[in-house]
Amino acid sequence: MSRKAAVGSATIVAALALWFFATTMTQMISPGRFPSPADTWVAFKQITGVGYANGVLIDHVVRSVVLVTLGFLVAICTGVPLGLLMGWSRKAEALINPVFLVIRPIPPLAWIPLAILWLGLGDMAKILVIWFAAFVPSVINAYTGVRNLDKPLIEAAQMLGTPFSTFVREILLPGASPMIFTGLRLSLQASWTTLVAAELVGAMTGLGRVLNAAQQDLFPGMILVGMIVVTLCGWVMTAALGVIERRALSWNTATRAGD
Amino acid sequence: MRIFNTQNVIVLGLIGFGGFLGFWTLLSVSGLIPSLFLPSPASVIERFVFLLSHRFAGGTLIDHLWASMLRFGGGFGLAVLIGVPLGLLMGWFRLLDDIVTPLFDAVRFIAPIAWVPFAALWFGTGIGGPIMIIFAGAFPPCLINAYRGAKFADPRLIEAAQMLGTPDRRMITEILLPSAVPSIIAGLRISAGLGWQSLVGAELIVASTGIGYMMVQGQGNVSTTTVMAGMIGIGFIGMVIDIALRRVEEAILRRRGLSV
Amino acid sequence: MGAIRFDNVGRIYGTKQDGFEALKGVNLDIADREFMAVVGPSGCGKTTCLRFVAGFDQPTSGIVSVDGVQVTKPGPDRAVVFQQFALMPWKTVCENIELGLRNKGVPKAERIKKVNDILALMSLTSYADAFPHQLSGGMQQRVSIARAYVLDPEVLLMDEPFGALDAQTRVVMQEELVRLARRNPRTVMFITHAVEEAVYLADRVAIMARQPGRVKEIIDIRSVREAERWDDHEKIEDVMDLESFVHLRTQIWRSLRQEKAMEIA
Repeated sequence: MSRKAAVGSATIVAALALWFFATTMTQMISPGRFPSPADTWVAFKQITGVGYANGVLIDHVVRSVVLVTLGFLVAICTGVPLGLLMGWSRKAEALINPVFLVIRPIPPLAWIPLAILWLGLGDMAKILVIWFAAFVPSVINAYTGVRNLDKPLIEAAQMLGTPFSTFVREILLPGASPMIFTGLRLSLQASWTTLVAAELVGAMTGLGRVLNAAQQDLFPGMILVGMIVVTLCGWVMTAALGVIERRALSWNTATRAGD
Repeated sequence: MRIFNTQNVIVLGLIGFGGFLGFWTLLSVSGLIPSLFLPSPASVIERFVFLLSHRFAGGTLIDHLWASMLRFGGGFGLAVLIGVPLGLLMGWFRLLDDIVTPLFDAVRFIAPIAWVPFAALWFGTGIGGPIMIIFAGAFPPCLINAYRGAKFADPRLIEAAQMLGTPDRRMITEILLPSAVPSIIAGLRISAGLGWQSLVGAELIVASTGIGYMMVQGQGNVSTTTVMAGMIGIGFIGMVIDIALRRVEEAILRRRGLSV
Repeated sequence: MGAIRFDNVGRIYGTKQDGFEALKGVNLDIADREFMAVVGPSGCGKTTCLRFVAGFDQPTSGIVSVDGVQVTKPGPDRAVVFQQFALMPWKTVCENIELGLRNKGVPKAERIKKVNDILALMSLTSYADAFPHQLSGGMQQRVSIARAYVLDPEVLLMDEPFGALDAQTRVVMQEELVRLARRNPRTVMFITHAVEEAVYLADRVAIMARQPGRVKEIIDIRSVREAERWDDHEKIEDVMDLESFVHLRTQIWRSLRQEKAMEIA
């Protein structure tokens, strides 16, 4: 085992021991502020068994993940083509850019009140808000991807008389795809954060709802469980996107695993 | 191919923007979408101007923005003051790097917004809680970019400094810090963006002042114009912060003789 | 004092069993105030040897010592002039030169005097407040040399200091270095791959061979230079025309070429 790994695992073990020591053995940190390992386990058993905040854990996870996936797909299906168009055509860029510049500085979370106002607390509002959140990074990175394409490569394709549809499929998309995927990663992270926030503001089920209920019930164990699950779900989805990216970009040696 | 000049860009831009506003106005004025839900751009601007001098949800738009900016300043300042020095130290002392990195990796994937319940529990919903959430959003990029900046400092410069007998303290302040400055500023821009957006989230959920709170109140009163005016305010301040940091970045790079 | 000694020095990269042996059994003595140039084909490990003396790198076997003390870490008693100058881009010329003196704890008044003296000596006075990126390569290397000289080090280590300069600037710098070295002699270890440069500057030239890297031959220049009175000539091209110079240069070239021939065979 390397020195780095040894020090690292020692640190993690020490942190866990400190957690146990401070909450359980000495109660230096009161259980009302931060849960002990036992409290956390109890909360976990409760949410997987009888359920909490209108459902068992798996219901909340499925609901949140499905909503994020839907909103994310809508965003990339609209954002990426728009970005490609803006990158390729100077005219389209000049036409669309001013509107985009006005919308861009608005942080994703700021769309939440508007979405709730328009569509209430249901699923459609969540999808709308995720769409807004994930849209901007998809557009920007697709746009940058096209703009950074190798000029000689484009000229070579034109010289070879490549028809436009083939050009888009075989030159434009593959060339811009590393940047597009960077955008997708950012979009996915924004989607997940936004959904959790939107559910915290108002929802019937979902992981944000679990956090919200636990906060109102002053239930630290459940808060921690909620946070851990939110983090794990976000991490798994990012990792899944990373796997897709590596498959899609296997030709590109510069592709690195999700970083 | 026609020459594509600045004039054309401006004309097309105006057409695009005008079209956007026109379409929006048309939808709203024609009654296709009730103006309660989609007020015309003019009425949003009108409301924005109105809120600048009239109180809503406990204060004018300026008051709310000011309250938000104070929180932002607190959380962001704290993130910079802790994150940058810690990142630089981790970039120089390997033991510290080995100790902090696993802990940091364990918590940095937590979405800042997921800290809301604990932040409210620990620091209340007034000023402490929101500051903690901003901190949670702004801290990781500060630390990561300072660390990377120090770690990827030109090894020749570090060797030159070692050869000159530079002690650790001066190595960090006079060699690693300036080397890392471009990376740190880039980190600050990301950090400010994430911090600002976490702030909005925190205020939507827990606060009782601030621009996010004003928007939630607007939403509760079905005042779409207030919500949209709030979005304009948020977007504007966010943009100002980013432009300010970009100016600093450009100034520093130019001083070093690097292209911007 | 500043005598450098390589005692049976070796360096292996990777594991001992199947590692790459970069240096093996290097023995070299550089006397106090001697100017030693080291030439050799690329990959012979000459830069690595210099880095041992600087303390940037450690040998895997043998001992590198200065004045009998084993080198373990870098320090201002062994100043280095880097090929790529390695000036801090965020410090002015003056601040770059001053850094080492501040590290040594030299009081401010004395620092200012020393820096001004060296600036004048290196004709840098009018650039004192310029940033490195505003200077030409030759000027930057002057600053780098000044930064090393101002510390009044026992040992001066130069790693192809003129390798990044254009041919004309290079000649000027070589002449200046000769003046500097004759006036204020230090122990110098000078890495280069330019044979003329080595012969022109050095008291002795060490020729290295590769696979594994080792010192193959040491040629004495000083006795010839003094006997033939090279230093009476002010210009480098005049020295290079002397029969004694040409002879030494050819001798070193032959030795290096033998290496190449063995490599191809």
